[in-house]
Amino acid sequence: MNASSREFAAWSLPAGLVPPEGPRGSARVGDVLLRWPQADPAWVRGVGEALRRSRDALRKRTARDVAALAGAAGARFLDSTDPLRARALALLPPTAGLSAEMAEAVLDGMARDWTGERLGRLLGAEFANPAALDGFVPGGLGLARAVGPRLCVQIVAGSVPGVGATALLRSLLVKGPTLVKPGRGDVVLPVLLGDALRSLDPVVGDAVAVVYWPGGSDGLEDAALDEADVVTAYGSDAAVQELRARTPVTTRFVAYHHRVSLGVVGREALEDAHRHRTASEVAGAVAFFDQRGCVSPQLVFVEEGGDASAQDFAREVAVAMEAVERHLPGGLLDPEEASVRHQVRGAAELQAAAGMGVEIHDGGAAGWTVIYDPGQDFGPTCVGRLVRVKPVADVLDLPRLVSPLGRHLQTVAVAGCGTRLERLAGALTEVGVSRVAGFDAAPFPAPWWHHDGQGPLRALVRWADLEAG
Amino acid sequence: MSGPVPPTAQPSEAFAPLAEELEALFGRGVDAVLDGGAFNDLALRVFAFQFGANPVYRAFCERRRATPGTVRSWEDVPAVPTTAFKHVDLVCGAPSAAEATYVTSGTSSGGERRGRHHVPRVALYRAAALPNVFAHLVPEDRPLAVLSLISSPDEAPRSSLSAMMGFVAEAWGDPVRWVGHPELGADLEALRRGVAEVRELGRPALVAGTAFAFVHLLDAMARSGDALALPAGSRIMETGGFKGRTRAVERDELYGALESRLGIPRNRIVNEYGMTELLSQLYEPVLREGGGAAGRHVAPPWLKVRALDTGTLAPLPAGEAGLLAFFDLANAGSVCHILTQDMGTVSADGVRLQGRSEGAEPRGCSLAVEDLLAEGGGRT
Repeated sequence: MNASSREFAAWSLPAGLVPPEGPRGSARVGDVLLRWPQADPAWVRGVGEALRRSRDALRKRTARDVAALAGAAGARFLDSTDPLRARALALLPPTAGLSAEMAEAVLDGMARDWTGERLGRLLGAEFANPAALDGFVPGGLGLARAVGPRLCVQIVAGSVPGVGATALLRSLLVKGPTLVKPGRGDVVLPVLLGDALRSLDPVVGDAVAVVYWPGGSDGLEDAALDEADVVTAYGSDAAVQELRARTPVTTRFVAYHHRVSLGVVGREALEDAHRHRTASEVAGAVAFFDQRGCVSPQLVFVEEGGDASAQDFAREVAVAMEAVERHLPGGLLDPEEASVRHQVRGAAELQAAAGMGVEIHDGGAAGWTVIYDPGQDFGPTCVGRLVRVKPVADVLDLPRLVSPLGRHLQTVAVAGCGTRLERLAGALTEVGVSRVAGFDAAPFPAPWWHHDGQGPLRALVRWADLEAG
Repeated sequence: MSGPVPPTAQPSEAFAPLAEELEALFGRGVDAVLDGGAFNDLALRVFAFQFGANPVYRAFCERRRATPGTVRSWEDVPAVPTTAFKHVDLVCGAPSAAEATYVTSGTSSGGERRGRHHVPRVALYRAAALPNVFAHLVPEDRPLAVLSLISSPDEAPRSSLSAMMGFVAEAWGDPVRWVGHPELGADLEALRRGVAEVRELGRPALVAGTAFAFVHLLDAMARSGDALALPAGSRIMETGGFKGRTRAVERDELYGALESRLGIPRNRIVNEYGMTELLSQLYEPVLREGGGAAGRHVAPPWLKVRALDTGTLAPLPAGEAGLLAFFDLANAGSVCHILTQDMGTVSADGVRLQGRSEGAEPRGCSLAVEDLLAEGGGRT
């Protein structure tokens, strides 16, 4: 890319709307200068009003048609001849802190679910009859329909690129205009998707606005929250709590707060014939998104009594992490992430020095870290490809061990639990886990997964009944 | 002392003469000159002692291939991350032989691990803390009455901050008025009584407390409509952040409210920066140099501060923001070189703190597992 294209305007607005005049806010992320409008609450309200007005045209489309249109825009990110994909691939590494290789893998994994076929399947999985989004259909007390939001405001965290674009698509599928405020690490894809939708179809495109502003801009957020009838919020517990407190009681609030994911490796996957592959899959699940995903395992429990000890398995995971590093190198951590990693690595070195049985393997500047830790506590963890491997006597002990994390548990990645899997999964879900999956599948749940325990589209709609007789 | 002492030695044998030497140095005050070479010599001698007497630290240094035989500069002495104090005992000699163990603060839920700083010789802490208190809180060297929102050492024997207030009480031979409250932060009724007594004495007061305690005091005063007029010349020592507590308040707002409710102008409010893991503190020199010094902290000559690159931990040029690392000779009984999670810049005239997340927008979503159990880890 040439020098001038290394500026990125972090907004995508419906036709007829322009950013307020005056100086732009800006920040340098990597070698890209990110610019955003110095918005004021009145302007945000204006965007909200325009989006609500766009719904009249949008609701005349069928949900299936919207899915097909949105899919046509989304699929462009998969087309290696499309300049949109090239632009995304050029901008993602610096803005999301990912290596070029990882950025491409993330884009492929995310955009795979943005095609018409996958979005259509999502509709079918969420609604027995997706025509309920278009009008009354038989059901319930006679007839029933699912009404999408007049305006869905979405405040998205910046951890993983693609989350904001996925959120945008979810709202469109239920025929809800949406205002997306992406996090700084995830501005590129929703903006490019918004522009792509608008060039394809003005009706759908005018139902989408994406605007970045720095987190903590309370006045802007309050204006947006007031305009919405559905709000989705992604982020830390504190950030989501704060947004929830400021959202009117009559507005539906869908919270995607902090989550933690774990892994468990049973004896069967430690057998000599399978162990190498298991270690590779564990390393891949940890490394993906540089571990910033809420689906990324931070602790992996390894069952004792198999062909390899947890300590030996940790060494194999370290070898596999190094191999991942070669084809999907780690990216840049932000200062706070890097700081925490220094703390966790240093503390593990001291635990090892103290004879606590801790063993630390790391890739030095490459950034990955595997810590074998037989201690009773979970131990400190962080993002940036750092995994703690802990022994467990029996995989069925895991639900009890992790129950203190219950309210924050999300994915448990599993390998080698054989016939015990269903029993284990049942007990895990009782303590709070919402997803049990293989390590290889862990990074990319299908679009119709129960995201943090709820249907991703059903969470956005309001059902209405027309009673028989 | 020359060369490492055997790891089996009790700290007292080799430690006492070294500690006495350091105490004498600290006793010369914060304005005494300690040039770079003299600091380095002392630092390396203390490192050699710790290498011999602190077996966990020794093994850590050996892993990093740093020994008293190879290290030539204090900057190359391996730094220990503050998090490690939660997980291992870092002390010269046996932890059980330490005269005091200070722990980092927790949260109301109390589920988290706390850092433990074992201190074999409390006199060394006292010797480091008091000259700094005098220099920055009573530069004019006149007796003050003390109102402390910080708990007394009797109430909080594991708090390093309470220990420091205890040193002040002993040194001034004046009964400190303890007006703190273990849960609420402040006991308004006790403070009212304390202020009345102080006014009776006609002596200016030092009001000491954490930011958390002051916020709760001001809330209580706002509810009751109190405004307490402290005698002219009174001052405040405010310390600590709001980490893991109920409510964050901008510092400017806090100081403005302190001025209006306690009658102490903001150029007489001194921020102290310290942590359980460091036995020396930094202060804003506003009483020594005037209100223009606000926002800048200075260290005593026996405490060196550097800003390090967040990625590589390489030292940064003056004025560039990085992770703060401290080499504190007062930590001779544990580990001197400490890597914190605090960001700041270091220049010839002092340290400018930036707090933990300034410059980085929180990414959200994935959080350290321990933090999910409870936020925590501040200083008490």
